[in-house]
Amino acid sequence: MFRIRFHGRGGQGMKTASRILGTAFFNAGYEVQDAPRYGAERRGAPIFAYVRADKSAINERGVIDRPDLVCVADDTLVGMPAAGVVQGMDAHTVLLINSHETAATWQQRLNTEARVLILTATEDVEDRAELPYIGSRCAAAAAALTNVIERETLVAALTEELGHLPADVITQNRDIALRAFDDMKQHAGLVTPGSMPSASDYDRPEWIEMPFDNAAISNLAIHAGATSVLVRTGLWRTMRPVINYPKCSGCAWICSTYCPDGAINVRADGYPEIDYDHCKGCLVCVAQCPPHAIESIPEHVAREQEAEASA
Amino acid sequence: MSKQSPLHFHRMKDMPSTHLLGTGTPTCAGCGGLETLHTIYDILGEKTVFVNAAGCMTLLSVYPFTPFRGGWLYTSMASAPAGAQGVRDALDILLQKKKLSPDENVEVVVITGDGAAYGMGMSATSGAMDRNLDFIYLCYDNEGYGNTGQQYSPATPHAARTSTSRGSHGYPGYKKDLFAIWAAHNPAYVATVIAAEPLDLAKKIEKIKGMSGPRMLISLAPCPTGWDYDPQLSVEIGRLAVQTGVWPLKEYSDGEVRHTKVPKRRKPVEEYLQLQGRFRHLFEPQRDAAGIAEIQSRIDAYWERAKVG
Ligand SMILES: Cc1ncc(C[n+]2csc(CCOP(=O)(O)OP(=O)(O)O)c2C)c(N)n1
Ligand code: SF4
Ligand SMILES: [Mg+2]
Repeated sequence: MFRIRFHGRGGQGMKTASRILGTAFFNAGYEVQDAPRYGAERRGAPIFAYVRADKSAINERGVIDRPDLVCVADDTLVGMPAAGVVQGMDAHTVLLINSHETAATWQQRLNTEARVLILTATEDVEDRAELPYIGSRCAAAAAALTNVIERETLVAALTEELGHLPADVITQNRDIALRAFDDMKQHAGLVTPGSMPSASDYDRPEWIEMPFDNAAISNLAIHAGATSVLVRTGLWRTMRPVINYPKCSGCAWICSTYCPDGAINVRADGYPEIDYDHCKGCLVCVAQCPPHAIESIPEHVAREQEAEASA
Repeated sequence: MSKQSPLHFHRMKDMPSTHLLGTGTPTCAGCGGLETLHTIYDILGEKTVFVNAAGCMTLLSVYPFTPFRGGWLYTSMASAPAGAQGVRDALDILLQKKKLSPDENVEVVVITGDGAAYGMGMSATSGAMDRNLDFIYLCYDNEGYGNTGQQYSPATPHAARTSTSRGSHGYPGYKKDLFAIWAAHNPAYVATVIAAEPLDLAKKIEKIKGMSGPRMLISLAPCPTGWDYDPQLSVEIGRLAVQTGVWPLKEYSDGEVRHTKVPKRRKPVEEYLQLQGRFRHLFEPQRDAAGIAEIQSRIDAYWERAKVG
């Protein structure tokens, strides 16, 4: 059975990628499952979608934890534990990353047994939330790597899944997808179906034992308030708002009120401070700041600058 | 509940500078519904229990995470006001039996989307108002079934594209007048609000804190995901909804409707429409002058009837 995971951010088209690949497999005579991980797939949030394809009925359910291929649309997610990109990878896995960097760099950085391939990033966009055509490119590259899907089958699946879009958008997606397909043909067949794991191969889940209380006097109560602060929604951010304090006039009630997430705090000295652990990067503050004292920079650039400063 | 506090929101500067609602919630970046909720919560305070019908905001409390400081109850989409009745009754019984001291009492607040409020929750809401239930109802109106992918709802405005109104003219129907429907029940209070006008919102919340009975709020909630625009425009779009007259800010009590922020000179509605992808077909590939004029004329007719502005 082929087991393929697509990782990206909400809005980058990973669900579409899984649908295109799923339909292509189906039209090539396979039994197929394709699904996005259901949850809070909000724009910018790390998400994944997955495809299973087999010549006989598929009885496996749930998310794929032993992938044959992991396809990553946005390389800023690779090192992010919450995105779970490297989860379950082993020597059999192929890791395909859309990146400006080389396979050797990633291979070394991740110190992984998995074979790393690069889908050369063509886009040069500031805001990673808007990687154009990446869903179609990932689906096409994955199709080529399996070597069981013909060019025409891919085009038919893409046209079917993008059918609601204007004709010129479909054509553009098709052309870009075919380029990725042809590029990956040199590695055709590198991704092979993994074996069927038996139940005994699975690790025991890490259960937390909860003692039974008398049902009449107990329930699963959370006695702490505002526990949501433990969730780092700052990981969703593709653009970062940065306060230029010399320009800031200290009217913190404005940005602090308008921030939908309440992620701008007012410091003791009256100036605002952005909580980057939780700021989702909507940039409402940038648009609303009266003296235009909040700028936005791409998150990956901000992180590179931070890494340099601390080195 | 009997609390009487002087109104103290006069300037933007008076807005709360600390926030009660926890960060780390799963709503989209730039969510106008969350913006309303965090402002309201700051003013209502933590002595609240939320009763939440299925919709985007149900994702706020997913065990073990919650942004609230107190209780939260999930109900089916149509029955949040019935859930609120149960909670209020239970609190009242506990108070009566002196098992709860008056300072432990909490305000019961329903939160639902427009799909619930304008559609399938209408009957339960009507019943709660009939019974003069002591509660606050906040409908965050993102003009569609946001959580399930923005299908149209009875709150969807004319001509908006939704995932179930994909034709070249968008949604053929017209937005239901929920304010009028609610006001016809003569509850203690009904108001329209929007997070992009925080002072108007804060004054209204301050006012209802000192009241009892059904206090009903409808907040237009710009939704970058469902309305298809860059999240940083959320406040701008909300403000334009008021300035163009699309979203009249008003309140009802004691049989009277008052407009609370009348745009001095209404901006043309296309300034509001053209920022949103759901109305793009009115401008591209050709401008649909007749379609835009129809939307404008309905707004003008509203203000003509309202005899203000
Ligand atoms: C009776 C019922 N039908 C359908 C659903 C599925 N459902 C969950 S949320 C939702 C959309 C609700 O729309 P709205 O009330 O406007 O809230 P929003 O999602 O926009 O926040 C739907 C249809 C449900 N939970 N219950
Ligand atoms: S879909 Fe709209 S209303 Fe729902 S969380 Fe996202 S922005 Fe908010
Ligand atoms: Mg809605």
